[in-house]
Amino acid sequence: MFSKSKPMWGKKTKLKSSYDVVLIGGGLHSLATAYYLAKEHGITDVAIIEKNYIGYGGAGRNTAIVRANQRTQYNVPLYKEALDLWPVLTKELDYNLMFNNCGNLNLMHSEAAMNAARMTIATAQFHGVESHLIDAREAKELVPALNISEDITFPIHGAMFHPPGGVVRHDAVVWGLAKGAAKMGVEIHQQTEATGINTKNGKVTAVVTDRGVINTKQVLISAGGYSAALIHGFLGIKLPISVLTIQAMVTQPLKPILNHVVSSGAYHCYANQTLKGEIATGAHMDQWPNYTTLTTAHYIKHQAEALSEFLPALRGVRFMRIWGGLADMTPDMAPIMDGNDQVEGFFMDCGWGYFGFKSCSAVGRHMASFMATNTCPDILKPFALKRYQEHKLMGETAALVSYTPDN
Amino acid sequence: MMNRFNHLPTLKIDVSDKIPFTYKGKTYYGTKGDTIATALYANGVRIYARSLKYHRPRGLYSMDGECSNTMMEVNGIPNVRTETTALKPGMVVKEQNVKGSAENDLMGFIDKMDWAMPAGFYYDTMHKPAKIWPVAMKQIRKAAGIGKLAPDHHMPGKYDEIFPSCDVCVIGGGPAGMKAALAAAQKGLRVSIMEARPWLGGHFEYRSSEYISRQTHHERAVQLAKEVEKTENIRVFTHTANVGVYNNNLITGFQVGKESDSFTERYIEIRANSVVVATGCIERPLLFENNERPGVMQAGCALRLANTYGILPGKIAVFSIGHDLGLETAVALHDLGLSIPVIADIREDGQDPAMLKAVLDRKITILKGWVATEAHGGKQVKKVTIKSVDGTISKTFDCDVLVASAGFTPLTGPLVVNQAKLTYDNHTNFFLPTDLPKKMYAAGRLLGFENAKSIEASGHLAGLKAAYDCENCSIADLGEAKKAMENLPGPARGTKLVTAPVKGRKTFICFDEDTSIKNIKQSIDKGFDVPELIKRFSGAGLGPGQGGIPGHNLPLFAAKYQALPDIKIKPTTVRAPLVPTLIATYAGTNHTMFKRTPMDEMQRKDGGIFRNIGVWQRARYFSKDFTCKKEIENVRTNVGMLDGSTLGKFRIHGPDALNALQRVYVSDLSKIKEGRVKYTAMCNDDGCVIDDGVVIKRGENDYYFSTSTGRAGQTIEWIRYHTRYDNWNFAVINLTDAMGVINLSGPNARKVLEKVVDIDVSNEGFGFSEYKEFKISDTIPVRAMRLGFVGELSYELHVPSSYMKSVWLMLKEAGREFKIQNFGVEAQNVLRMEKCHIILGQESEQRTNLLDIGLGFLWSRKKTGCKTVGVAALAQAEKDNTRLKLVGFKMENNGRAPKDGSLIVDDRVRGYVCTARNSFSLNEAVGMALVEGDMSKIGTRLAFYEDECKGELIYGTVVQTPFYDPDGKRMKM
Repeated sequence: MFSKSKPMWGKKTKLKSSYDVVLIGGGLHSLATAYYLAKEHGITDVAIIEKNYIGYGGAGRNTAIVRANQRTQYNVPLYKEALDLWPVLTKELDYNLMFNNCGNLNLMHSEAAMNAARMTIATAQFHGVESHLIDAREAKELVPALNISEDITFPIHGAMFHPPGGVVRHDAVVWGLAKGAAKMGVEIHQQTEATGINTKNGKVTAVVTDRGVINTKQVLISAGGYSAALIHGFLGIKLPISVLTIQAMVTQPLKPILNHVVSSGAYHCYANQTLKGEIATGAHMDQWPNYTTLTTAHYIKHQAEALSEFLPALRGVRFMRIWGGLADMTPDMAPIMDGNDQVEGFFMDCGWGYFGFKSCSAVGRHMASFMATNTCPDILKPFALKRYQEHKLMGETAALVSYTPDN
Repeated sequence: MMNRFNHLPTLKIDVSDKIPFTYKGKTYYGTKGDTIATALYANGVRIYARSLKYHRPRGLYSMDGECSNTMMEVNGIPNVRTETTALKPGMVVKEQNVKGSAENDLMGFIDKMDWAMPAGFYYDTMHKPAKIWPVAMKQIRKAAGIGKLAPDHHMPGKYDEIFPSCDVCVIGGGPAGMKAALAAAQKGLRVSIMEARPWLGGHFEYRSSEYISRQTHHERAVQLAKEVEKTENIRVFTHTANVGVYNNNLITGFQVGKESDSFTERYIEIRANSVVVATGCIERPLLFENNERPGVMQAGCALRLANTYGILPGKIAVFSIGHDLGLETAVALHDLGLSIPVIADIREDGQDPAMLKAVLDRKITILKGWVATEAHGGKQVKKVTIKSVDGTISKTFDCDVLVASAGFTPLTGPLVVNQAKLTYDNHTNFFLPTDLPKKMYAAGRLLGFENAKSIEASGHLAGLKAAYDCENCSIADLGEAKKAMENLPGPARGTKLVTAPVKGRKTFICFDEDTSIKNIKQSIDKGFDVPELIKRFSGAGLGPGQGGIPGHNLPLFAAKYQALPDIKIKPTTVRAPLVPTLIATYAGTNHTMFKRTPMDEMQRKDGGIFRNIGVWQRARYFSKDFTCKKEIENVRTNVGMLDGSTLGKFRIHGPDALNALQRVYVSDLSKIKEGRVKYTAMCNDDGCVIDDGVVIKRGENDYYFSTSTGRAGQTIEWIRYHTRYDNWNFAVINLTDAMGVINLSGPNARKVLEKVVDIDVSNEGFGFSEYKEFKISDTIPVRAMRLGFVGELSYELHVPSSYMKSVWLMLKEAGREFKIQNFGVEAQNVLRMEKCHIILGQESEQRTNLLDIGLGFLWSRKKTGCKTVGVAALAQAEKDNTRLKLVGFKMENNGRAPKDGSLIVDDRVRGYVCTARNSFSLNEAVGMALVEGDMSKIGTRLAFYEDECKGELIYGTVVQTPFYDPDGKRMKM
């Protein structure tokens, strides 16, 4: 345990001229896919190509919340599997992912919202996921800092309580998966930028990088917020994705005060206390598509206003750090997972918006199976790109989303 | 309590004014002008807190609050930076993160356990076997965090916010900042200065050394400050920390209120045309063993303790410094009575000759090319070992203070958060800003200038550049200022030493997270090779003080350890807020903003229970009976009034108005006749219904239309977006707030209305689906429609907002004989549900298209002239039977209604309930649900799965709709 340390994901190696599989993006979906390709399919001649360093993007910028109380029957089983995998991965990777299954409390501020939550809760319960509708008083018992008085902007009517959800240490997942994948032979090439994909007769032949050309028959683009631009740039495939900046921030560390993840749609705000004691909070997306990770003055202030109302004790703590990341939003707020569709050997896993972290483990596993067998697993089928051509959106959000003028 | 100087010109305290405060339950006294930390220091306190991880004793180090060393709980508020917080009478000050006291912390033994806690150790431990993790996690949570906050903590004080604007904003009120402000102000511009300390002057302020002959730096600071203060177009914000700089020079900060101010703290957001950043430098920490032992402090801290607060930091002080301010401090403190056995100067040469002479004149030993390598003493410094920088020769000295400082580090935060790039500069050993954003300038000490004149001249130049951006300065003036700079000394050479020659086990690069040099090596060995990753893995720079302490040394050390040929390595990202800021302060005065209808006040008086609905507040109920039985029955049998003012209302007119409507509405609106009401809907490109409402033709090329409440805000943009390539000539006007709506419904509605209006309201005179415009009492213009949303005889009156109350009162008066009643949004919801009239968002989701909810009849396929948004998708979806369809259902065996949101299931989820109620009108439970196409046939049995049903299903059957008055006789009567 305390012996002289070795590089966790191998020494820096030369880029080879060919690999069985190339994964573009050094984020969680890519790392998990690599891990499961090696572990469950014995495919170890795999290169991960990352422009910056692993975990640079959404993997290192999310606020690490995990849950399986999604809205539809297509999503719930996938997220449930992901949730169940945290303890399994902790053991397999022999790396403490610090899963804190503290439960999530999603506040409801109207009768209508309570009814809408009931559908989500019924869906969860029907699929064997624990989730309950509770009233304001019960919510206050779980979170004593909650303000359940009537005289706030959005009085709390109740909450959707989802006990199995919680928080996982996001960096640990990045490093743990990298360590696990590297141990089985996967090569992780950081500071290596993919600049193109070569195809011939509708088939992938190579990935071009700034360190040379890599011959390969299979490539996955799973580069978070940058995926849509890469896929369009490399292959001309246009995706219905808008990229928005999403911000999050932490306060100075406190002794335990919040024992659950608390979120509110009406306030556009969630908050949870990390194991280090910081209150991590966020939820907002800028309303204009952009590829920057710049933060805004308005948002940190908004967040303070919101927390001041529903968790007023937090008025006494200080924000110490805000950051931005990218959310690649699809019109139905469900991801695009597809492969061998327009180009043989090309796979994509993107459009996760702000759900990429909670899903990464299960998705990596299924994407690996997809790539290894060239057969799309049933659980991924509803997420194919062609649903947009058919105008069949998934029902992950009830209300119309609006982040560009055309939806 | 120690004697304090009271004769120094630089002092900011008034020793005659004693201020009582409580510390550890006992009363102590500070003096007016003290910070909490200096008051404690004067009372002999040296250990302020224990560190986060190892519970190491921590003391006063920098005086500007860059680290958590002196964070304490003050008046119940955790993590207060006592070194920058003014002492106020009656303050209650407590130590944090200690078991026992900071002096005697029972957890102090952990410091010896560091071998068991290498960087990132927690990732490798506590998970085997899995069942120990939940237990370990509890302990981690308890151990982590420093301050405590009670869940019912109430934050005292007043928090305000202001949003001023100015031409030039200067961040930093030191000599460079003041010169910049004066330069810009003299050009006639409006200037703001943000200064973190409670007074202007920067590092000149506390220095009694010579600026020019017969003038000290302090006197110069006072002179400049006076000049600034008397300049009318400079607004000075002192005690105002800059916390953020954003695009287009939006600058945020917060100001701490003085006793005379009406606020405790206030958030300040300044929009400036151009910005000068003159934030100066802090000292770069010197790295050696126990480099944060209480008694170790930076030069500026020691000097300010004496010169500003009248406290001699100790009796015997060893100096280990790398810059002339260190020598100056030694001279000044020596003259005040401090005994200085030795100064170890990292530099072999290059000292200011005058300073060197002053040191030698005082017979202070100075060893050039020497550095402190270890501070000894369990809780406080008692002895110091210094070595020659090559590590070969060593000496030990007794002392109670060690003044240690490796050099300077520029405060580039305001530049970096606004996207300036930093590049390593070999001469100054600074990461200096390159590629500054437009209209942003850096000046003063942060550029490496140490010469006072150069600092001022660079401020002057930056001020003129900022003025030039505001078009108030000539090129010639700029040229002159640049020339003046050329004749002055450039940036000074900076010392490069990163660590003293030590192994680094107890050499802390980050105090807040207890990250040692050894931890950094461990991180790099594990593959975390760039500073950003080292930071994440080792925690360095992630603590309450953020990057203040490790910010500069970490990239330098990482480069050195990896033997990188030149320092291409970038410092870690600095993020807002640059100074940790209270949530209360950010929140400011916290406004609640909802739109209210003209009837708001009257409806509240009538007992309306209000709810937030989108941007509005609306009366949802008129009694505590949330089933709304009375309200519903009243509408069905008598007459009721609903305030429908939130409905979107628009006028569209111009030669292409019809084209625009045809583009967004699915119906063919070329056919509508004046005097008729046309119900129709809008879809998006996926054919999904986004809005429904009525369209009325009021004249040639002039239409009035309504939208749902939720869509009103986006409607104009929607129409404009979908006609953006057409170059059509039309105007759309949002009348939502200009017009109110009264819905008068029920079988007695006509009897009420006819008493108020002059027009013929008989069924023949004003039939169903007709539209009339008339005036009440020859004065109030009314647009009236006969609609039937709730399924009864019903009039919708659109009235200018200013007349809403009058018309409402007239109807109320006219209805008195019928006992007319209010009804709210929930009653309307049930009434219309019985009639199977949909509410978008309730009977539809974002994926629901026009056909799914049975509104396909609105879609005109024969429309000519322009494409309609969404119809291509509709044509495609028409054949698809797998989509969810809206159906009406009744419950079996007269059972109760399922709860809204219940699922419809077989072996999987097949749909869900949109709205269902035990209907008073029908005496049975009915509802509407979205179900998969194959289940939408009349007679299909539906199984409802409710939350918490534990598998107990209830059943219903798909039936014909509507449930209530299927022939629509009642609304047409």
